[in-house]
Amino acid sequence: MELVFIITLLIITALFSILLRHRALIEGLAVAASFVTLVGAIIIARSVAAVGIYTSSIFFTVDALGAIILLIIGFLCFATTIYSVRYFREESAKQIVGFTRVKQYFVLLNLFVAAMVLATVASSPIFAWIAIEATTLSTAFLISFYHKPSSIEGAWKYLIINSVGLLLGFLGTLLYFTAVGVDGAAGFVSWQTLLANASSLDPEIAKIAFVFVLIGYGTKIGLAPMHTWLPDAHGKAPVPVSALLSGVLLNVALFTLLRFKVVTDASADPSFTAGLLISFGVFSIVISALIMLNATNYKRLIAYSSVENMGVLLIGFGFGGIGVFASTLHLMYNALIKSSLFMMAGIIFLKYSSTKIAKVYGALKVLPVTSILFFVAFLAITGLPPFGVFMTKMLILSSAITAYPYLTSIALLFMTLLFVGFLKHVAAMVFGKKPDDIPVGEVSVWLIAPPMVLLFLALILSFYLPPILSSLVNAVVLHY
Amino acid sequence: MDISILQFFAGLIFLSLIFLNLTKKNYLAAMVFGIQSFAVMMIFLSSYLETRNLYVLLLVLLTLVIKVILAPMFFIRLIEKHQLSFSVSTYLNMPLTLIVIAMLTFLAHSQRLLPLTNIIPLHQGILAIALSGIFISLFMIINRKEAISQIISILSLENSIVVFAIFAGLEQFPGLQIGIIFDIFVWIIISTIFVTMIYEQFGSNIVTTMNKLKD
Repeated sequence: MELVFIITLLIITALFSILLRHRALIEGLAVAASFVTLVGAIIIARSVAAVGIYTSSIFFTVDALGAIILLIIGFLCFATTIYSVRYFREESAKQIVGFTRVKQYFVLLNLFVAAMVLATVASSPIFAWIAIEATTLSTAFLISFYHKPSSIEGAWKYLIINSVGLLLGFLGTLLYFTAVGVDGAAGFVSWQTLLANASSLDPEIAKIAFVFVLIGYGTKIGLAPMHTWLPDAHGKAPVPVSALLSGVLLNVALFTLLRFKVVTDASADPSFTAGLLISFGVFSIVISALIMLNATNYKRLIAYSSVENMGVLLIGFGFGGIGVFASTLHLMYNALIKSSLFMMAGIIFLKYSSTKIAKVYGALKVLPVTSILFFVAFLAITGLPPFGVFMTKMLILSSAITAYPYLTSIALLFMTLLFVGFLKHVAAMVFGKKPDDIPVGEVSVWLIAPPMVLLFLALILSFYLPPILSSLVNAVVLHY
Repeated sequence: MDISILQFFAGLIFLSLIFLNLTKKNYLAAMVFGIQSFAVMMIFLSSYLETRNLYVLLLVLLTLVIKVILAPMFFIRLIEKHQLSFSVSTYLNMPLTLIVIAMLTFLAHSQRLLPLTNIIPLHQGILAIALSGIFISLFMIINRKEAISQIISILSLENSIVVFAIFAGLEQFPGLQIGIIFDIFVWIIISTIFVTMIYEQFGSNIVTTMNKLKD
């Protein structure tokens, strides 16, 4: 019931926003809808933690990992909506965007969140595919939001690459249905049905299907070498959208891929999927580290960090066992910290009016609170203690080093390189003499509060997992 | 419907893909896509005649309206609006394009991909043709530099996958198929809006003219 309510509410909010003529009403409605989404996500997560699976109807089921993703959607959607309200007010004050654009933003934002919720809770792989395709459609105009040549180029690249990727994912998805012997209008095939029939799936078909699904959903996840759309889209989209793309959408696509991994492992030798995931994971780390060394744009820099972290997650999930435990935690930390980083990048952009690293210096003097938080978030995401990312990266690498010593060593080497590259750019931005023409002072407390809360949440979760989350993580380890 | 008629429609889709790869005129490409979609619709119609399921009939009608009528109409309007009747921009010339198409067709018929083409042994030939269609559509997306051609290529890829699914016996719950076609409809609208936006911003629909993301 809660699920249907959340999805309906988000869609109604989007439709209602089209009719409204008062900005405050549109903003208020969006904040209220995102708050209800958060509350609904918590209720569903509690239910999954208690019962193991949440079923609303034949069309919707939520398992432990789905509940965690739903919680991430809830928290990040609420934080980014609050942030968006203030962010676009600042942009309106600078005459960057007008009322129509803001209205368009909140309409598309609600549809985007609804599509992500649908993709997470869909009980059928085809239904999930439709929802993930819907996320592409709803975000294309969010990426081209500023209507500049570069943003249109980024959005077009995003639309074409992701559409092709998702069509390949669709073909892979269909191939899994050979196990169930689908007959025309026979019936609705759920994830559970696929898993139950996995033993009758031809292992060769399962392997080919997984390759298609990996390429398809891997494109959406931003795995190298299919990542090329990601830095462009994240770099050109409005900051709150980048935060949601990076913090939520990539995880939603990863979640879908992992569900196929479980089905494939039940049919073919699990070392097949593990090898592929680990190889793609390491390659993503290598590519992102090399590019980050010479990055010139700080939004793209953070975007490449997403490619790296998706690679880390893939290694953990590929290896299994303790790797899955660490990856599940890493997924949460990455979502919280990455969104926080993007939001702080937005504050820096509002002050410096540029996303070029070379044009941002002395931020510590101009934006003291934001800069400190930005630097802390950088340390957190690159895996320095006391943040949980340190522990999760260490666990993932230590679990993989026995079976894949060379690949793990390469990953470790490039993670170190990535830290150096990231540090070089962040230090250049934060420290040094401030520009004379930029006034000192934070932009707004409403812009600092959401990323600060997310960062604080990541820190708390690094030391303490609430019982609900703990039982969800344990359930994920057992199933994936 | 007789299997030989279905084979004819699968063959028609394959031929349309070869034509789409070779044609230099956008207008013709839009028309041929309409014919290709008509063949897909006829294959759906045969499914309806077998099952008499009203949802499948709805699917036939939606395919007719969205893919056979509306999509080519959108493309032709765009072509006329921006005077884009010719599209000669490809990375490979015609002989090389033909060689690649031949190689991809050979690949789809190879032993290596037998697990895919042998899902229903009776349909092995058609499945190999449908798989060739998937590969050729993918190649077309890469080879074409023009935005409308890329859109038609992606829609052709979707058509080829649908044909493969039908002959492999992997047709989905009709409600979901309607969801997919609705998604495709929204995709067509959004992509055509983007073509206009690209033309307005870059003065051309050749995607290689977009080079503002080099920072």
